[in-house]
Amino acid sequence: MTAHDHAHDHAFDHELHHVASTAPRMPVLRGREQTTPFSASVDVVVIGSGAGGAVVARELARDGRSVLVLEEGGHYTPQEYGALAPSQSFRRLAREAGMSVALGVGDTPLISLLAGKCVGGSSVLTGAVCFRIPDEVLHTWSDDLGLARMTPESVDPYFSEVERICHVEEVPHHMRSRASELFVEGAASLGVEMKSMRRNTKGCRGAARCNFGCPNGAKMSVDQSFLPDAVGHGATVVSDALVQKIDITGGKARGVRGRFLDGVTGEPGIPFEVRAKVVVVACGSMHTPILLRKSGLDSVHIGRHLTLHPAVRIGALFDEAVDGWDGALQSVYSDHYWNEGIWLNGVYSAVNVLAAAFPGLGREHRRLVKNIPNLAFFGGMVHDDGGGQVRRWLSREPLVTYKMIPRDKERLLKTIQILGKMAFGAGAREVLLPIFGMGTIKKPKELDFLSPGQNSLAASRIECMAFHPLGSAKMSTARETGVVKPTGETWDVENLFVIDGSILPTSIGVNSQLPIMGVSMMLARGLVDDFGAHARKALG
Amino acid sequence: MVPLVTKDFRRSTLRPRHRPIVRALAEALFSPDGEATPERLDAFVDEVDNFISPASKTLRFGLVMMLYVLRISPLFFGKLRLFDDMSVEDRVHHLERLDKSKVKQLPLIVVAYKTVMTMLFYEDEQELRGLGYPGFERKRHLKVTS
Repeated sequence: MTAHDHAHDHAFDHELHHVASTAPRMPVLRGREQTTPFSASVDVVVIGSGAGGAVVARELARDGRSVLVLEEGGHYTPQEYGALAPSQSFRRLAREAGMSVALGVGDTPLISLLAGKCVGGSSVLTGAVCFRIPDEVLHTWSDDLGLARMTPESVDPYFSEVERICHVEEVPHHMRSRASELFVEGAASLGVEMKSMRRNTKGCRGAARCNFGCPNGAKMSVDQSFLPDAVGHGATVVSDALVQKIDITGGKARGVRGRFLDGVTGEPGIPFEVRAKVVVVACGSMHTPILLRKSGLDSVHIGRHLTLHPAVRIGALFDEAVDGWDGALQSVYSDHYWNEGIWLNGVYSAVNVLAAAFPGLGREHRRLVKNIPNLAFFGGMVHDDGGGQVRRWLSREPLVTYKMIPRDKERLLKTIQILGKMAFGAGAREVLLPIFGMGTIKKPKELDFLSPGQNSLAASRIECMAFHPLGSAKMSTARETGVVKPTGETWDVENLFVIDGSILPTSIGVNSQLPIMGVSMMLARGLVDDFGAHARKALG
Repeated sequence: MVPLVTKDFRRSTLRPRHRPIVRALAEALFSPDGEATPERLDAFVDEVDNFISPASKTLRFGLVMMLYVLRISPLFFGKLRLFDDMSVEDRVHHLERLDKSKVKQLPLIVVAYKTVMTMLFYEDEQELRGLGYPGFERKRHLKVTS
C-alpha cells in the first residue's frame, strides 16, 4: 500500500465518522424507477451488495476496474431505515419480510431465518457482532481440508483491514444493558466467564435495535463503509435488479441478464443485460445456489452442506426493572462451552419483537408482555453440522430444508438448560423457555427434563432461529468435493466467482459477518492480482 | 418519520373473505376482555395485510391456507362451528388446544400468526408507552458524555 493510499484511508475513516448525519445520499440507480431496457459493459459485475459483494466491489473499484453492483433489494439510507419501526424494517429490508424458514426434516425444529434483501444485505440487519473465524476452524480448513491459505497467519491481515474499515471496537462496560449485566452474573454463578464483544459501531448510543437498522447511524454496515468507498472509486450500485441468469458461453462467464422489479407489483419487469469480463456471485447462502443452478451449473454440491448455527433464547423475569432496551443490543459472550459446540451471546431486540415469542395466549400472554421492563434475554447457538439444503421451487425464494443430527439437538437442548440455569443463578423468578406450548417455569429443577439422555422432547417443539446461513456452495481443493476453487472461481465455469458466505466449507461457530468480509477481502485481493489474466481469458 | 425515496410496492394479500378470520384471531389474542376497540381491530387487519404482502407468492399462499385451516380447525376437536363464529373465550381456549397439539402442523398455525400479529400489535406507540417503553430515549450512553 502506498503513502497516498494510507492518506486516503485516514480521510475515509474521518468521513465514516459523520456518515449517518451529514453524508450525502450514496448515489444508487433505482431499478424500480426504470422505464426502458438497460445494458452495460463493465470489467466486473457483482451480484449482491452484502458483506461479500460490497467488499469485492470496493477492492476492484479501488484497483481502477469498472464495477457494477446489482442488488435485488431496495435502497434505503441509514436515515430512512433508522426511523422505521421494526416491522417496517422487516418488510422493506428482509427477505420474506423476516418470515423465511428452514423446514425441519426428521427430528428437527422449524428454524426461522433472517436474511437481508436491500442495499447492504444482511449487514444492515445484524447485531453488529464481529468475531474472527476461530483458529481451530481455520486449522481444520487448512490442515484437514487442504485449503492452504486459510491459516490464522494468512487471514490475519485481511481481518485487520476489514476491522479498520468498518470500525470494529470493543463494547465498553458502561454500554452493557442491565439485562447483559444479569447474564454476566448468572454465568458467574455457574463459574462461566463472560467477555466483552467487539462490534462494528461508531458512536453507539445503546438503542438496542441494531437488527432493524440503527436509529443513530452508528452501525458500520457495508452500506456505510465499503459501498460508499466503492462508489467513490467509480462503482455503480443498482437496486431492485433481479439477476435471472449468468451468460455462459465456451465455459466462460460473459455477463448476466435479469429484470428490474416493477415499481407497483414488485414482480420482474423491464429487462437488463450486463456484459462483463468477470462475474462475481455474492447473493448469500440461500440465493447463490439458486442462481448457479438456473445458469446451468450442475455440481452435486450446489445447495448442499448448508449450516445455520441454530440458536435459541430464553426470557428471564426479574423482580427489578431491567429496561433491557437501554444499552448495546449485544455486548457480552462466552466461549466457555466451545468444545461442546455451544456459543453464548447476550441478546436483546425490539420489545414488540421479543413479545412475539412469549409463551401463552390471551390473558397469560398479556401478563408477560406487561412485565417486559423486568425481562432479560439470554441467547446461545450451536456449532452445527451441514445438514441443510437449498433448492429451487415455486417462487423466487428457495425451499430451505434442514436435518439436524442428534448431536446438534442435544447441543441445542443443553444450551437451553445452561441459559435457564444462568437465569435462575442471576435471580430470575420465572423463566420463559423457547418451547412451544410450555408455560413459564419457576424452579431450576424444572430444567432437568433437558438433560442429555433424559428428554423425549420432539425437536418440532423448540422455538429455533438462525441468522448465519453458510456453506451452500463450498470451497474445496478438488472439483469432486466442492463448488469453488480456493480462489473463489467456480470449478465449472471460468471467470465466474462466488464470494460470499456460501463458500465457507464448514460451520464456523461464531457470528458470520466479519468472517464473510475477511474471506471476501482475501479473495478479492487475489482477483485484483490476477485480473489481467482473467481479462485475457474473457477476450479469448 | 423520514420520507422514503424508495416507494413501496403496492400489493395486497388478504381478500374480504379472509379478513374476519384475522380479526377474530386478533380479538382472541389481544382483546379477550375487550381491551381493543372495534376500530383498532379493523385497522389492525390492514396492518397484517401490509406486513405479509411483500413476501413471496409461495409464502403468502401458505399464510392464506393457514387461515382456512384455522377457520375449520374447531371441527378437528368435534366442535361444529367455525373459528370466527366462536365466542372470544372459546377462541382463546381453542387456540390453546392448537398450540399444545401433538399434530406438528397445528401449533405452527398459532405460532406463525401469533408472532406476526404480536409484533404488529405491540408496535403501536400507545401500547408501547403503556408497557413502560420510553421510545428512543436512552440514558446509559450518557454515562461517558455527561
